[in-house]
Amino acid sequence: MNNPIKTTQDKSLPLRGIGRTTPLGKKSYLGPSLKDRKAYPSGLDLRKKERVTLLEILDRALEKGVVISGDIVISVADVDLVYLGLKVLLSSVETMERLRGAPFAGATEEPT
Amino acid sequence: MSPDDFSEDNLKKHLADMSWVEKNIRLHEKVIEEIMKAQAVLPFKFGTVFESEANVEKLLKTKNTEFKAALANLDGKEEWGLKIYCNSGYFKDALCSKDERIIEKEKEILSAGKGKAFFLKKKKDEIIKDIINEKISEYTKDCFERLKITAVDNKINNVLPKEVTEKQEDMVLNAAFLINNKRIKELENGLAYLRTKYTDKGLIFDCTGPWPPYNFCHKV
Repeated sequence: MNNPIKTTQDKSLPLRGIGRTTPLGKKSYLGPSLKDRKAYPSGLDLRKKERVTLLEILDRALEKGVVISGDIVISVADVDLVYLGLKVLLSSVETMERLRGAPFAGATEEPT
Repeated sequence: MSPDDFSEDNLKKHLADMSWVEKNIRLHEKVIEEIMKAQAVLPFKFGTVFESEANVEKLLKTKNTEFKAALANLDGKEEWGLKIYCNSGYFKDALCSKDERIIEKEKEILSAGKGKAFFLKKKKDEIIKDIINEKISEYTKDCFERLKITAVDNKINNVLPKEVTEKQEDMVLNAAFLINNKRIKELENGLAYLRTKYTDKGLIFDCTGPWPPYNFCHKV
């Protein structure tokens, strides 16, 4: 392989314990085999990795999941959240759309 | 944590406070993942709060069939997320030397006067942009299609901007796959193949999991 692009996010990321093992172990990053994993990251790297994981959680739990509406819940499912550098702000739908961009053309939208 | 924290006004205030959100959403996630160790889970969106236990029971009774069906469908499956990033600067260099449209334009620029050359250069930049987008589309579509076949279901989400990812590369694909937990190896193999094929072309793959199936709860 000539001049491979550095895939820094494929390297040793701390595994988040989830208990159930997959062939790769716990919350894994499907990257190089375990024997390629480098030493545990430095403090600075760790904060960054934690932010990456937080982003993944936000991207799921804030935006997805079952939504219940109606008078049995007091939820804010209708609040539009926008995040700018991981700062969560309340904003209009238009701003959210603008920041989030569009999926690539020609993709199969998920089937019903 | 008191119920007051989740009154509509307080919750709105809390949601504007990143440290509150972080602490509680991690907790939300942790609880779900604990349950996931034992069985299929239907994760709810963060911030869904019921006024009383009686209301929870009411929901379970009303939606009994739907919840059961959804859980049955999710049983034995895991959500895996795939994010692909692209170093478009890398593209630019590799493409410019090869594409005929660019080579043509460069010839024109060399033979043009100063004024015209300026506009031709702009045109060239546009062409480069189009070529890059075409290639990225082609590559990410290939990646998505290859991994899609290892999955029972899939979802494409909007890409996240650099302000959010804090990366230098652009995100070009943000997808989720629902995969049978006995077939994770196929995903792994597919991903390894794609890495071999596309890393030199400037794509960076970030695949994480298993996650609770947030992206596959919409049917409830």
